[in-house]
Amino acid sequence: MSKASVLVVVPAFNEEESLAATLDELARTTRADVLVVDDGSRDHTSGIARQHDVHVLRHAVNLGVGAALQTGFRYALERGYDIAVQLDADGQHDPAYLESLVEPVASGAADVAIGSRYVARTGYRAPRARRLGMVVFSTIVRLGIGRRIADTTSGFRAYGRAVMEVCQHDFPQDFPDAPLLITLARMGFRTCEVPVEMRERGAGRSFYTLGKSLYYPYKNVLASLMALLRRSA
Amino acid sequence: MEFLSRTQIILALGAVGLALFVLELVRSRRLSEEYSLLWVVASTAVAVLGFTTPLLRGITRALGILYETSTVFALGLAFTTVMLLFNSVKLSRLSHENRQLTRELAFLRLALEEQGAVTQTPSDGGGGA
Repeated sequence: MSKASVLVVVPAFNEEESLAATLDELARTTRADVLVVDDGSRDHTSGIARQHDVHVLRHAVNLGVGAALQTGFRYALERGYDIAVQLDADGQHDPAYLESLVEPVASGAADVAIGSRYVARTGYRAPRARRLGMVVFSTIVRLGIGRRIADTTSGFRAYGRAVMEVCQHDFPQDFPDAPLLITLARMGFRTCEVPVEMRERGAGRSFYTLGKSLYYPYKNVLASLMALLRRSA
Repeated sequence: MEFLSRTQIILALGAVGLALFVLELVRSRRLSEEYSLLWVVASTAVAVLGFTTPLLRGITRALGILYETSTVFALGLAFTTVMLLFNSVKLSRLSHENRQLTRELAFLRLALEEQGAVTQTPSDGGGGA
């Protein structure tokens, strides 16, 4: 890895079952600093995080994964990190890819690097709906920014400092996916995709409950359109 | 002089009652002056419309509505919609502020933890999170 200082941000909401394994794996694979943002968990997420050699920030109430990431960005900015990588607490994201994900941002080739899954997973709960969603958002993003991004819903991303600074002001609070990519692209930030393989969730419930699976497409389509309508500053 | 229909009288009296109740809420500090304004204006408007048939009739004709009572209901519904939208806007702003505060709190707590000031004694009875 280059000389850029990297902070791995792990947003965690009620992840006591899988967090320990994720943090252990991180400790084995990388020397980068790790920040767990406990997003108002009701379980022992914070306690488990504190048993590891990581930094812990705790939201008193649940704000959503986007807000947790934004908190992580602010921490990274305040402590002078060059790059922040979002890595989910549920074990989906393999820290082995950290280096390849950070590389384009560290070298200045991109401002945001997206870990893009290229291997079809099996046993996924709603593969067809999810795949349809990925196609829809991919299309919206392509229409919006004139460039194709295959995996707009991937949460495994590396962000450079300039992006983190912008994200302090304007950021989707619940699902920072397609709308964020459009907003960033329109501000002139360069995104790139890095192939990664993603795993099944280690433990715990999937974040996509029925209510959210109905709300998510609506919110993301609307927010994407709004991102397109807003004049970039 | 036009006669007042029973519905009109009930509506008008209800509106007066609502206005009084809103003012009472403000007096007892359960409703801020800021939010009371729309309610007072709206209930007064309904009361005035209820009692003055010619005005109501004029508006009804202008809007192409058949019955005066429908006009009162339509205006009431329009007001309710505006009020709900207004509340949603307020709510969005409050959630935004809530996020800022929660984040600020998280950083302050971290600063205290780093100084070793918390997790020692919950001296003021605040307790942990």
